[in-house]
Amino acid sequence: MKKITIDPITRLEGHGKITIFLNEDGSVANVYFQVPELRGFEKFSEGRPAEDMPQITQRICGVCPEAHHMAATKALDELFHVEPTSTARKLRELLYSAFYVTDHTTHFYILAAPDFVMGPDAPPAERNILGVIAKVGLELGGAVINTRKQNHWIIQTVGGRPIHPCFGLPGGVSRAINEEERAQIEEIAKSSVEFGKLSLKVFDDVVLKNKAYLDMVLSDTFTQKSYNMGLVDKNNKVNFYDGKVRVVGPDGKEFCKYAPREYLEHIAERVEPWTYLKFPYLKKVGWKGFVDGKDSGVYRCTPLSRLNAADGMATPLAQEAYDKMYSTLGGKPANFTLATHWARLVELLYAAERLLELSKDPEITSTDIRNIPTAKPDEGVGIVEAPRGTLTHHYITDERGVIKKCNLIVGTTNNYAPLFMSIKKAAEDFIKPGVEITEGLLNRIEMAWRPYDPCLSCATHALPGQLPLEVTIYDAQGNELQKLSQGIS
Amino acid sequence: MKTLVLGLGNPILSDDGVGIRVAQEVGKKLDDPQITVSETSAAGLSLLDSIVGYDKVIIIDAIQTEKGQAGQIYRMGPEDFSLTKHFSSPHQINLVTALELGKMLNLAMPQEITVFAVEAKDITSFSERCTPEVERAIPEAVKIVLEELVG
Repeated sequence: MKKITIDPITRLEGHGKITIFLNEDGSVANVYFQVPELRGFEKFSEGRPAEDMPQITQRICGVCPEAHHMAATKALDELFHVEPTSTARKLRELLYSAFYVTDHTTHFYILAAPDFVMGPDAPPAERNILGVIAKVGLELGGAVINTRKQNHWIIQTVGGRPIHPCFGLPGGVSRAINEEERAQIEEIAKSSVEFGKLSLKVFDDVVLKNKAYLDMVLSDTFTQKSYNMGLVDKNNKVNFYDGKVRVVGPDGKEFCKYAPREYLEHIAERVEPWTYLKFPYLKKVGWKGFVDGKDSGVYRCTPLSRLNAADGMATPLAQEAYDKMYSTLGGKPANFTLATHWARLVELLYAAERLLELSKDPEITSTDIRNIPTAKPDEGVGIVEAPRGTLTHHYITDERGVIKKCNLIVGTTNNYAPLFMSIKKAAEDFIKPGVEITEGLLNRIEMAWRPYDPCLSCATHALPGQLPLEVTIYDAQGNELQKLSQGIS
Repeated sequence: MKTLVLGLGNPILSDDGVGIRVAQEVGKKLDDPQITVSETSAAGLSLLDSIVGYDKVIIIDAIQTEKGQAGQIYRMGPEDFSLTKHFSSPHQINLVTALELGKMLNLAMPQEITVFAVEAKDITSFSERCTPEVERAIPEAVKIVLEELVG
């Protein structure tokens, strides 16, 4: 038996590892996916005041600190039995929308676009953001940098400091915005909406008008029929900040809809002997292994899953883009993993439109930003949609508000099982007896995991899109036969 | 000369926070309006956002090399980053790409960038403290950064 290891060393604290075992004839025997887990967060948080959690948990992840901050803040609302004021709620969602604009922009242009703009077979040295900008134009590169910069300004202005906001409090937020700030946010939102439209046009020109790419998007290799999860508002429209978690089956029918505090009734975690990872699944369907279909409790929560789980988008331009996507993909739900990149751009446009709506809201500059909690704290669950999936924070405290227990289900964790399945399916379809294992081929396997944008090591500050990839092929005796590397030299 | 001292890392992940710790200590010893001391857990494009507009940038970070000893301090310049892409630290890779991107887009890029990296031991356990070996290296790292600023 031969062994292939795909070893993306992205990060100081460890790396994800894909190990592919081959049969004697060169076909795939099995695939394993391993990630080292960061240790001891629960213990680290025990004994701390609950109100520190928005500050501490945002340090877990260098990629989406704002998501942890927001989930923690919402958990505190419930823990202290206090409703945020209307303005506070809107300011939180405004900050969160700006965060989504930056995050989705980064993901699409840095991580997703190189595969399509440069092509999956392009040499790794060219298949990156630099190649994309060289090809698509400096102007677009400037727009990417500018959109990120401006929306970071919003996060900093509303959140109190760059990247790690000190903003969310039980019952509200720490500061209001003034008219001057509001006006500037409105201007940024307008240009972000234009940028969102432009990005969908780029996708249209580069991917949809290229038959080979569209065929790849629609191919069976990149298709997976699992349950879809996402947060929805009261009209079942996609919402990132608030609402209920809705789960829709592979047939498109609603399976369940739950409030944050009910999550343990719906989600259980599977433990496998070969990895530290826990694989969440739908409790009421049950764990049937790494298989898709209606009888398997495996679910996905990605941008595409969120769109599948909802009845539409709450803003007009995003709704238009949503309709176009589903009519091209042949209706709902769409189970094409690579279409996740498209869904991400629909969400980018939605986030920008929502930012614009909120910036014009008459209440947004009100100074009524906090209700002071008076009840005894006990238990709280907060859920937001992180860019990489539904993020759940659950805290239990003593009556002084000191953390006794803390449980987090982070965005990427939800997607471990489907991510593993997508990689396995791609490996099985691409690695065949007699087929030479090239960089392009390995990149296609990587393309099965890129849509999930797995945050393999929370706390990472590694540049997305620069995943160094090393593939080592061993013979049956464990001797190294061949080594292919990309992203490292 | 407008100078930035930037600590990178995660302050609640044991030795991963060493860059931030060093930057904070350096900050306590400085009183020069031309020098900004800052910290970040972000990287990649955010790193680019942080360094644009400065003439000189000193970055302090954790690193893990194959045979390194915890607490060992390395000094690297941009000329090393392209040579050492096989290092297990991603930051130099980030920095190379970020710098190339900045140049490509005609941003005001620093003329001088130096990276000081401290060999880390534990970067997967949540803790606000570094391991003793790395803790002991902090005063030395602070001294080296201060010397770099004077020089």
